[in-house]
Amino acid sequence: MGALSMKQQRARMKALWPGFAERRIDFEQKSVRWVGHCRPQLMPYTLDVRYQLGGFPEVRVLKPELIRLPGNAEGSLPHVYPPAVDPTLCLFDPAENQWVSSMFIAETTLPWAYDWIVCYEMWLMTGRWTGGGRHGPARRMGVIS
Amino acid sequence: MNAPIANQGRNPFDDPVDRILAEIALSTQLPPSLHRKAVDRYEAVRKYLEADEAFNGDIEHFYPQGSMAIDGTISTRGTDDEYDIDIVAQLGGRFRSMDPLSILKELERALKDYPVRKVVRQTRCVTLFYSDNMHLDVTPSLRAYGTADRESYITHAKGPFAGADDQFVDMNAYGFAEWYRANTPLEPRLARAFRDRWFAMDAALAKAAEIDEVPEQCDFVVKNTATLALQLLKRYRNICYANYDGRIPLSVMLSYYAGVSARPNMSLSDMLVRVANWIKGDIDEANRRGQLLHVANPVTPDDVFTDRWPASFAQQEEFSRHLERLVVGVETAKRGDVTPDKLTDWLRAQFGDRVVTMAVDRMANMVGQSVQDAAHGYSRKGGLILPVAAATGLAVAPSVVRASPHTFFGERI
Repeated sequence: MGALSMKQQRARMKALWPGFAERRIDFEQKSVRWVGHCRPQLMPYTLDVRYQLGGFPEVRVLKPELIRLPGNAEGSLPHVYPPAVDPTLCLFDPAENQWVSSMFIAETTLPWAYDWIVCYEMWLMTGRWTGGGRHGPARRMGVIS
Repeated sequence: MNAPIANQGRNPFDDPVDRILAEIALSTQLPPSLHRKAVDRYEAVRKYLEADEAFNGDIEHFYPQGSMAIDGTISTRGTDDEYDIDIVAQLGGRFRSMDPLSILKELERALKDYPVRKVVRQTRCVTLFYSDNMHLDVTPSLRAYGTADRESYITHAKGPFAGADDQFVDMNAYGFAEWYRANTPLEPRLARAFRDRWFAMDAALAKAAEIDEVPEQCDFVVKNTATLALQLLKRYRNICYANYDGRIPLSVMLSYYAGVSARPNMSLSDMLVRVANWIKGDIDEANRRGQLLHVANPVTPDDVFTDRWPASFAQQEEFSRHLERLVVGVETAKRGDVTPDKLTDWLRAQFGDRVVTMAVDRMANMVGQSVQDAAHGYSRKGGLILPVAAATGLAVAPSVVRASPHTFFGERI
């Protein structure tokens, strides 16, 4: 199945997640950025989702600042890509082809980002990351700057 | 005319803050296995007493009172796994002509060889201490004839010798339990959620249960939000006064407030805030009038629940401050104005380290497993909907986005 167009991605995002607004659309670069508010579990968050056709979606937490737990077995902040000052969430295993461009970001990336947040909150409460996954060497995925 | 909407109650596991509070309540309440053991034990004590020549034929009723009668039992103050079970032994016959201390001593004599760790005569009851830390208080009573059903006098005598303070005290625990149950009817959605949660934690319990066991008949299950809030309030009181030697706000007084403030279909956190504010309001009003708080059994006004607490304005003001702190903390959590790590610290301070650790660990396991199994979903506002809620049909609603399986990756930074 071929890659979904930007138009398809944007339409699906708008239909499923009305709390997310398009902030920047670059028709030439075929990239888009959404910013939205959510409260998956205990606290409200502002998320930034960026996508460039042909690359991988990228999610950042804009607010609140993510809390670190130095000395924790999972690291001071688990399942993210560096840099530490501006981490992006690592929501799928690239070796497993869990995300391909024929998938809707609205149906995969965003719910997975919510999954990351609920697991992060539980990790802050217990010190344990219970959502599974594996840690691997950093490999920056193809994302827009 | 439309049919009235039944009070289904709310599933406390649907909402994140309620979910934590429900897990805390679950960690403090009498486990189902011990509930059944308690019932077996007080039936065994009754048979044992009936076999005693002095009691044979003179036990008119033998029934649970207090928290056991309203499904509100939690661990005893200062403990995480000890439970007090209260039983009333309504006596007749020759006991009606005996003084309070003689009745208590006769009960003590009859139970002195009962196969438990220790038997102790107290001021108003005889306590059986079991080796697994359950305590059974057997309170002798005499029926007050010409009054409401089972209104009685209970014995009050310090001993070991008769004293001027020895007396019979008005009591209508049975009537109060009836009143409480009428004010806090079954909320099927809540009761079912709690029964299923216990079954999920205890496979043997689930296997032993009748397939068609409904919440109404599932006697160990808390049946409404008000009682769940009451358990949390009692636990909070126990922690607030953990290092305090004097008398503390009585459980029966807190039960009265849960009953009087109960309202259908409230969330657990809202109900907890409501009952705490209700008590605080009454205390503040009593202070304004220069009075001590007075709460009596709603069906027997002479049965005063505040006869031993508060003994001073300072005591009631202190409890009012504790309640205010609880309300502020719960409301802050509901607004999402506290980070999860700080929320855990706060919960530990209010409800006890061990039970909160158990509660958040269970919650983390439940949430994590749902994420790994992709068994959950999210509302259009991004709110987590767990499979316990999905069972009610929410997850198949078009407004719910199901999450698909994925594997977290990346670095530890």
